[in-house]
Amino acid sequence: MSILKKILFLHLFLCRMILPAPAQSTGQDSQESKETPLDEVVIVAKSPLQRVRESSFNVVAVDARALRNTSLDLSHALDRISGVKIRETGGVGSPSQLSLNGFSGRHVKIFMDGMPMEGFGSSFRLSNIPVHVAERIEVYKGVVPVELGSDALGGAINIVTVPSRRTFLDASYAFGSFNTHKSNLSFGHTLRNGLFLRLNLYRNFSDNNYRVKTRLLDLETNAYSPDDRWFRRFHDNYHNEAAIVRLGVVRKPWADRLQAELTVSHEKQDIQHANLMKIVYGGRERKARSIVPALFYEKRNLFVEQLNLRLSANYSFSRNNNTDTLARQYNWLGQYRHKGFKGEGQYTMGEYDNRQASVSAGLNYRPGPRHLFSFNNLYARFNRKATDAAANSETSTAATFMRRTNAKNVAGVSYRFEPSKRWNVSAFAKRYDVTVRGPVNVSATSTAVYEEQYRRFGTNGYGAGATVLPGAGWQLKASFEQAYRLPSENELFGDEALETGDARLKPENSRNVNLNISCERVFRKVHSVYFDAGLVYRHTRDYIRRRIEQRYGGAFYTNHGQVRNRGVDLEARYFYRERFSVGGNLTYQDIRNRERYSADGRELIYFRDRMPNVPYLFGNAEANYRFDNCFGKDDALSFGYNLRYVHSFFRDWESEGGDIVIPRQLSHDLSLLYSFRNGRYHIAVEALNIADEILYDNYSLQKPGRSFSVKFRYSFYR
Amino acid sequence: MITNFNRSLSARLLTLMGCACVLFLFVACDETLPKSGPEKPGAFFLAATGESSQYILTTDRPETGSLSIADNFRQLELSGYTWIFNSNPSVAVGLIYQQGDPGVGLGYTVNEDGSLYESGQFLITSRFTSYGFFDRYALTSVGGVTPVDGQGNALTDAAGHPRTDGVTFNFFDLKNNFASQNKTIPTLNLTGNGEQATFSGIVDLGNGEFLTGLVVSQPRDPNAGGGASSGVITYPDSVWVAAFDAGLNLKRIYRDDRISYSSGRFRSQYYSQIAQAGDGSVYVFSGSYESATTRPAGALRINRGAAAFDASYYFNIQEKTGGYKFRKVWHITGNYFLLELYNDLVPTATGAATQYGVVDVAAQTFRWVTGIPAKDRITATGLPASYGGKMYFPITAEAADPAIYLIDPATATASKGLTVTGAAAINAIGRLTQD
Repeated sequence: MSILKKILFLHLFLCRMILPAPAQSTGQDSQESKETPLDEVVIVAKSPLQRVRESSFNVVAVDARALRNTSLDLSHALDRISGVKIRETGGVGSPSQLSLNGFSGRHVKIFMDGMPMEGFGSSFRLSNIPVHVAERIEVYKGVVPVELGSDALGGAINIVTVPSRRTFLDASYAFGSFNTHKSNLSFGHTLRNGLFLRLNLYRNFSDNNYRVKTRLLDLETNAYSPDDRWFRRFHDNYHNEAAIVRLGVVRKPWADRLQAELTVSHEKQDIQHANLMKIVYGGRERKARSIVPALFYEKRNLFVEQLNLRLSANYSFSRNNNTDTLARQYNWLGQYRHKGFKGEGQYTMGEYDNRQASVSAGLNYRPGPRHLFSFNNLYARFNRKATDAAANSETSTAATFMRRTNAKNVAGVSYRFEPSKRWNVSAFAKRYDVTVRGPVNVSATSTAVYEEQYRRFGTNGYGAGATVLPGAGWQLKASFEQAYRLPSENELFGDEALETGDARLKPENSRNVNLNISCERVFRKVHSVYFDAGLVYRHTRDYIRRRIEQRYGGAFYTNHGQVRNRGVDLEARYFYRERFSVGGNLTYQDIRNRERYSADGRELIYFRDRMPNVPYLFGNAEANYRFDNCFGKDDALSFGYNLRYVHSFFRDWESEGGDIVIPRQLSHDLSLLYSFRNGRYHIAVEALNIADEILYDNYSLQKPGRSFSVKFRYSFYR
Repeated sequence: MITNFNRSLSARLLTLMGCACVLFLFVACDETLPKSGPEKPGAFFLAATGESSQYILTTDRPETGSLSIADNFRQLELSGYTWIFNSNPSVAVGLIYQQGDPGVGLGYTVNEDGSLYESGQFLITSRFTSYGFFDRYALTSVGGVTPVDGQGNALTDAAGHPRTDGVTFNFFDLKNNFASQNKTIPTLNLTGNGEQATFSGIVDLGNGEFLTGLVVSQPRDPNAGGGASSGVITYPDSVWVAAFDAGLNLKRIYRDDRISYSSGRFRSQYYSQIAQAGDGSVYVFSGSYESATTRPAGALRINRGAAAFDASYYFNIQEKTGGYKFRKVWHITGNYFLLELYNDLVPTATGAATQYGVVDVAAQTFRWVTGIPAKDRITATGLPASYGGKMYFPITAEAADPAIYLIDPATATASKGLTVTGAAAINAIGRLTQD
């Protein structure tokens, strides 16, 4: 068990065959991780690994349990994975963007226990969920298993929360610089009769009052100072609370698992500035809350042996409020003057509601040791509504307040053939359908006339993979997917005002190919080496773009553009007993525009340019050293070091001759962890960005400087 | 109006400018330049957009040749600036307001050696749907604002709802680092009929007053949404123009029933259709956008110093255009104005408008501009500049790099000038001179 406390990045080559759903792959009743001792070096979850490593997916998994002594949230944990980059706009709770092999936004889909998180709202997202909530984080690069039903063009991330232990209590509290407090309580217990309760509560709080370098507005003249100066952030408080309650039974004749779940979350954030830091606010804020009830049901050997069924359903309701009511103009000194009208940016007390219902069903059947058939279907229905006219008076129309829904169904089948333990092949096919309903402007004059219409859209995708295990710790993998992203309702309908949608749109599509070679070796029973090299190829076409052309008047959507990415993800680690580890990863992605002409036929100056505003060279390195029985029996003291590097990149196309760049980032973190009483009590001290570098993930938006925190944690697992 | 360059220049001033400037003129220009008259030395300022970012370029010769966007003078932090140019003082002002966020305005000037520099950055705290120059100020206005009292509390209507008839003006002082002031005035019953108004266009009368076109409407239904600040138009067959002083005190209102309101509307924008001719008289155009109006697109005149429309002057433009209505109006020189006309006889909400014509308001003639790309090939146009008696008009046609077209108003013929390679559009051209 003690190895769990070390930070280990694991590659779980998950087998969809034996573990039908990512969500259930560490189901507490059957897959207790049996560690296979390799003398001192133990790889967590090695035992399932022995059966599952034949999978051909390019998947990276992080054992989140090993990160529980840190103050990381899920997105910071993801940031340490090769090919993944998190870009933040500020401190705790700030909006952040995840990119995976250069894909971001709606091209990468996020799941929790196999269910899409799209409707969960901003109060429950990767950048505010602490690592405590997760058991494991899985990152599927480019090729996504049918169990994660989605039109994920560039890959998918699945957060697995199902705990592997029957009884546990994990409580922690951390405080640190910028008045940051993070607390967490996890509790779980399963009775002998199979009844279980699990509870997870957490809170994040921060004033985010770190110092930034920017220009000062003179309130008398409304002119900016010519030079940058240092100021302390004064209106950036963030707090976020969430509770997850799960109640259910396991090991019943009629259900291997039946679970009801409720997730309630809330957040409130002060908004300090606009997309340029020099545009500063003193009163704007936003709030979000969401309620997500869910049900899970799993039955193995349904009717016949080796036929397994899994059903999930959830409903999410989220409400977002934006408030901007002050008739004031602030500057970075926190001073203000009165204005003659409401709103620092735009007067609003807007409220938006999103509702989403998802139902997922998975079946898999294994008629013999060599064959596995899987079927998965996900239906999701999304509904959004603006409830306040003042919300966005500039862009809203009468249609803003009309109903609109977006229903999506993704069905997938896969087959795997495994003639021997040394190799296997698999193939899958997916069917995507979307139906949108909403208002469309049907007027032929300058006065808008709205009519509710609905449109359908569908397409098919497919993929295949193979893996070979020649022995001696080596593994070779290859996978391919023809992936799609379906048009959204806006793209099919336009914005209902002056945009026109186009039912002839094609889905954005990408050919994704992965080749991986990895090796895991143990020398003299104490030295362990792990190495993985992944080659990534993506050719993405038919981007759905919004265009405005004067000859047509308003904006419209067309398919245009192609981008090719040829990249490499490298990772290497070395372990000496349990005492020392060092490792790192490096990602290089050559993502270039392959479209020679603009949508209207003009020759593009940036043909073959690197995609702008996308990091293309980045990596992490880390080292840990651990002393056992330091001050007494059953205690441990470990030192950790972490380095984060992002090469500088252009914000816009390089060939256009601009000089705006996001500068190189190089930051160093140190940590010290003392665990005692056999790993029940932990005290962790962290120093982040110790060199106090000025860090930017995005143009103009400065991230926190040096910070310190201390964390106290009690953990009990049985 | 916007590009109201002061082209009258005395010989005395020229002498004062000294040898260096004269030398610069000879070096910078060659004999093939058009007869540009006695112009001050300076440079042309172009704003061009790449795939998404906006860039500033400069040139001495927009009449010919080509320039790459990669040879830009500067990349801008924000894109989507609206550029306007003033002649005295000579300055380019970049206005921007981001959806829901203030914008950072920019000022550019040329210094003694003729090179461009950023002369200021200032905050633009409110939206703007109309803009221009008045006295020593760049001026923007936006309607649909909730006016507040001295304590910052919203003024409410009889039903207790926040009022939305406020118009916010921003004054940016061109002679004091763009120091700005804003003022919000209520417009309810400004025209005496219980309606509210949104302002469109700014014409400096030169006597401490400016004129602006009014779009008079019922208060906007707060639940109706919609980008524009105007509500239902009760009087689509009337035009109003207001005269304000620097303190935004209402001096006069001009009213007539021969044309519809004077404003070119597109989404939330109100494009100016009011401009001064070479003789100082103000022409009030109406593109007749409102679907309910019975008045054809046309123009009226306010003679210099007059307190009412010239009853003897009426120009029915729509009958000369074959029924097409227009959206934008720019003064070229003398009595010539350039019109941007809708592509359809009945303008639709999407508002496609890529046809151009020149009117002579004195002779009451209209000619379609020839020598520019066909209307169904134009993907973008930019703010034109009047220089040397010609209109320098940025046009982007499909499958081609954007270019400056030089329109001769007397013949309404155009010839292609400078091409900017690698750009998606030229957003504006203006000429900056040394003061």
